[in-house]
Amino acid sequence: MSAGQGNTRKISIYRYDPTEGGDGHFDKYDLYIEDETNTTILDVLIRIQREQDSTLAFRYACRVNMCGSCGMVINGREGLACKTNVSDFPGKEKITIRPLNHFPVVKDLVVDMGPFFEKYEDCLPFFEPKEDREEPYVIRPDSVERTAIGLATECIACGCCVSSCTMVNYHDGYAGPAPLNRAFTLLMDSRDALYDQRLDRVMQSCYNCRTEFNCTEVCPKEISSTKSIKYIQRMAMKDPFKGKTEASEDGQAVSEGCKGCGNEETDSGRRNFLTKMTLGIGAFSTLAVGGVLATSFVGPSMKKQKAQWVSAGKLEDLPKDNVTTIALNYKEQIGFYEQDRVKPVLVWRKSDSDKLVVYDSRCTHLGCQVRWDKPRSLFLCACHGGSFELDGSVKAGPPPRSLDELEYRVENGNLLIAMV
Amino acid sequence: MEQKNTINYRKPLQWGEHDPNRHKNMFVGMWAWMWQRITAIAIVFLLPLHLTLTYKPWLQFLLLLAVTFHATLGLRVILLDFNLVNIKYQKALIWGLTGLGLLVFSLVWAAI
Repeated sequence: MSAGQGNTRKISIYRYDPTEGGDGHFDKYDLYIEDETNTTILDVLIRIQREQDSTLAFRYACRVNMCGSCGMVINGREGLACKTNVSDFPGKEKITIRPLNHFPVVKDLVVDMGPFFEKYEDCLPFFEPKEDREEPYVIRPDSVERTAIGLATECIACGCCVSSCTMVNYHDGYAGPAPLNRAFTLLMDSRDALYDQRLDRVMQSCYNCRTEFNCTEVCPKEISSTKSIKYIQRMAMKDPFKGKTEASEDGQAVSEGCKGCGNEETDSGRRNFLTKMTLGIGAFSTLAVGGVLATSFVGPSMKKQKAQWVSAGKLEDLPKDNVTTIALNYKEQIGFYEQDRVKPVLVWRKSDSDKLVVYDSRCTHLGCQVRWDKPRSLFLCACHGGSFELDGSVKAGPPPRSLDELEYRVENGNLLIAMV
Repeated sequence: MEQKNTINYRKPLQWGEHDPNRHKNMFVGMWAWMWQRITAIAIVFLLPLHLTLTYKPWLQFLLLLAVTFHATLGLRVILLDFNLVNIKYQKALIWGLTGLGLLVFSLVWAAI
């Protein structure tokens, strides 16, 4: 037909004989192929079995990429033997064929898919209607759920994705891409009744995905399991505690008669442990960070304020034997906060000496401002009628103690008052 | 002829085991994941070095480079996780974001 003259290709096939055991080895075959574009790897295997080595074991059924029996690793990539052409490996490139990863090898290219289907069943891969209905459901083809599911229902369970996924190597409990994809198509389905139970089953697995897209790349049906897994992750995020409560109530009922549920207990133990660890580490880091932030923000304002020396003008300007009210302007610093303050103080300059008494103008009762009443020679508070003598002691009213005195000093004739 | 009743399954082949062509066929998404892991470990080592040996240009260069890769690839995963970018653009995301990251990196490096 097209590609012209034939070619002799070197083909090496992984062989494992269950009667001998061991690690397995590669057998090399030379095969003359007339038309590479028209010859699939499956054709190659069938011809080798017929013409060269009748002991070669492999599995196939439909030969038209519908059944998913002939999944294998061809030149380092998973694929269906019946879908891969020899011409996909151009030139003289050697073709290496080997069984799928992560499945026990029965013989040669035949693997035991048992573990795969156990995990598949574990994800409740069947449809359970919410209600008995005479009429069919109406799900519009352009509805959100239908477009999201898309062609993800086309999975033929060939196991290629599970073989390509490196995470299946490291997590025994990981369901793998295909089961999760199946679970996704049912989780998205609004007609299905087992949403909570199914979500609970896949909750652990769905976070094992590392977004490598290996499963998407190899899928012979071009389904993106990565996309499905991401959907499940987002569903799980919507109600993070739902799956847990369901597990305690309905989980047992559903898990009865299910083979893969032997690890249920260890799973929940691990989940509890992880939950506790996450909460613990979260609480610890919150406390640590919060503590540091709180002390650095609030701490400075809790400290005792250092007195600030504020200038109140020349000493000689103050009349002798009299009380002068001076408004002090200064900046007050509390922690990170700075504000301009105007605080009146009452300065009593005695007649005989240069001695002063500086009173804080706040009433000791509730902090109203007192004023000097010269004719009566009293400090009066307007709020509740408190009054103080010239020496600061309480004369009448509710104040509990005499007026507070402030420290002062005189420098070069300037009066400085210590404001706290 | 005697029939053997027990079948000895070979234990599952692991990823890359007996698979000479596997590594040259690694997909870009997997490289993205691995590279993010590698840079994560690099940051763990480079950051304390950066704190102890201050103002070493080569160290700053390496750390900034590692952080750039780690951040851009992490951004990719976040965008895909929250469906902010359609998942079919995942490969374009890798190249686009990494390129953008390297551009920002070179601008930052030129500025300091």
